[in-house]
Amino acid sequence: MKIDKKQWLYQILFAAITIVLLFPIIFAISNSFKTLEEATNHIWRFIPAAPTLENYRHVFERLPFVRITMNTFLIAFTVTVFKSLTSILAAYAFVFLDFKGKGSLYFVLISTMFIPFTVTMIPNYITVSALGLNDNIWGVALPQLSDALGIFLLRQSMRTVPKSLIEVARMEKIGHARIIRDILLPLVKPAVVSTGIIFFINSWNEYVWPVLILKSKENYTLSLALQMFISSEGGTDFTVAMAVSVTTMIVPLILYMIFQKYIINTFALSGVKG
Amino acid sequence: MKEIVFNQVCKSYDQNQVVKNLNMKVEGGERLILLGPSGCGKSTTLRMIAGLEDITSGDLYLGDKRVNDVESGDRNVSMVFQNYALYPHMTVRQNISYALKVNKFPSDEINSRTSEAIRMLDLTGLEERKPKELSGGQRQRVALARAIVKRADYFLLDEPLSNLDAQLRAYARKELVKIHEQYHQTFVYVTHDQIEAMTVGQKIALMNEGTLQAFDTPQNIYKKPANVFTAKFIGSPPANVVEASYDAGYLYIEGAKMKLPDAWCKVVGSRNRLYFGIRPEDIHLTRAPKDKDYAMKALVRYVENYGNQLGVYFQVKGMEMLAICEDAAPMPGENVYFEPDFDKIHLFDIETTNNLGYPKKLQ
Repeated sequence: MKIDKKQWLYQILFAAITIVLLFPIIFAISNSFKTLEEATNHIWRFIPAAPTLENYRHVFERLPFVRITMNTFLIAFTVTVFKSLTSILAAYAFVFLDFKGKGSLYFVLISTMFIPFTVTMIPNYITVSALGLNDNIWGVALPQLSDALGIFLLRQSMRTVPKSLIEVARMEKIGHARIIRDILLPLVKPAVVSTGIIFFINSWNEYVWPVLILKSKENYTLSLALQMFISSEGGTDFTVAMAVSVTTMIVPLILYMIFQKYIINTFALSGVKG
Repeated sequence: MKEIVFNQVCKSYDQNQVVKNLNMKVEGGERLILLGPSGCGKSTTLRMIAGLEDITSGDLYLGDKRVNDVESGDRNVSMVFQNYALYPHMTVRQNISYALKVNKFPSDEINSRTSEAIRMLDLTGLEERKPKELSGGQRQRVALARAIVKRADYFLLDEPLSNLDAQLRAYARKELVKIHEQYHQTFVYVTHDQIEAMTVGQKIALMNEGTLQAFDTPQNIYKKPANVFTAKFIGSPPANVVEASYDAGYLYIEGAKMKLPDAWCKVVGSRNRLYFGIRPEDIHLTRAPKDKDYAMKALVRYVENYGNQLGVYFQVKGMEMLAICEDAAPMPGENVYFEPDFDKIHLFDIETTNNLGYPKKLQ
């Protein structure tokens, strides 16, 4: 295949962008396998001279790391399940049901996407504290159980499903729950999967909200644990911090690699820039 | 018992009234065609029967039951959609049997009904295919099969043949009639194609701008159009309808005059303005009329060849009309006589555009 000059330029540009984006990941992985001495003397060496698992062992010894990973997973899983469920139900209602004030309600809901987190942070903190969920992982999950972005993305995707498919089912006396399960979900599966992955990754990486709610180490999430090793509290052990970084990003990275086709398609269809 | 009754039914979207004061009774087991141009309210009427659209005012009865507030699923109706609405992720067999399964029919019953529908609609061998692997005609048959297995009392079809090519459409029309004759549901069929309406329908409801224009057998709709709209909509080519005036036994078109038979004069009564209508095939263009008093002078402008017939465009003074001639037609530029078959003319009121009726001997 002949590649013209313009395409060459694109290829070079893509390669450059990829290198810039991949650099921090490779940097973290390579330094996490070095001794502190090697990292200090040869920070740009990408293949460690004597690879070691010492940093990972150190992390597991110093922190209840399994517990922290479990916390992060539980929060991300709960948030993903509930957000997906509420988004599916709300999007279904917005697309396939007729009710008064549908347009205005959708507008209000979508406008919440533009309210910065810092505005809702304090009211949410007060509510969660009043519910006695301070320093509790469920306090982290609670305010995230539904979300306008999910409703927006799934609504866009459900709008591509012909209304007559749902009408046929309604005429056959099939209930809404069954319609969603048997007819709608198989058709919008890619969008639901990718939206779920986005929810999971966002929740996994969440930092500001957990830092407000969680106080004790055994309740920490991975991003808070990572912060410990970077801040003065955790000391200056740079290679250990890199080991925590790698552990933190490994799950979202794998998820993204498996489902990237779905994720890209959903954003391309909805016209949202990722 | 399976009749459908519309009693002053109206449907509005905000300020826009799409069905206006509809009164109509479809007899049980009858094939009714809802016919009309795009946007005339025919699909909305069908969707009201299906329970997919709310009724703004008036009453709709299915059998004895007023169904205004009855959910679609409780109306005992099945429907074939224009786009077929097949579930793309299910096979042909699953598409047909899905609703029976969900509604917990015994599996023997599901299998026998599904197999019967598959056999009847010639879908054998395609059972495990998905809709995307089927041709347009096959999809249409799957949609029909899915509607049939429900064995509902009311069978609704929304332009079911519009996505098929002409040859397949002619075949599918016959199939539809065959299906109806086997099950005898009350059959309501929406189309904008008058050939479909004429061939499939036992009754036709012709609609325009949300109003019922005519409700009669295909024969009567064609031969005795209820109003100017019906005369112009039905028939290909449509009827000629021109403004005319009447005075002392003579009909005038743009100043040209001809005598009107006495029986027709009684129908016209004291009116002196009206619409005169005649179908192109009921016109004789002749060089030597039987009686010059009962004919008008005309000038041939243009002749179209339809293969088996000729379409002759001619003018009476300035008014253009079309005649269909079976054999030798006059040449363009030729002066001839326009001689209507008075048994087949139609007169309409100038204000209401309604048919004035026919002389007693014609009825």
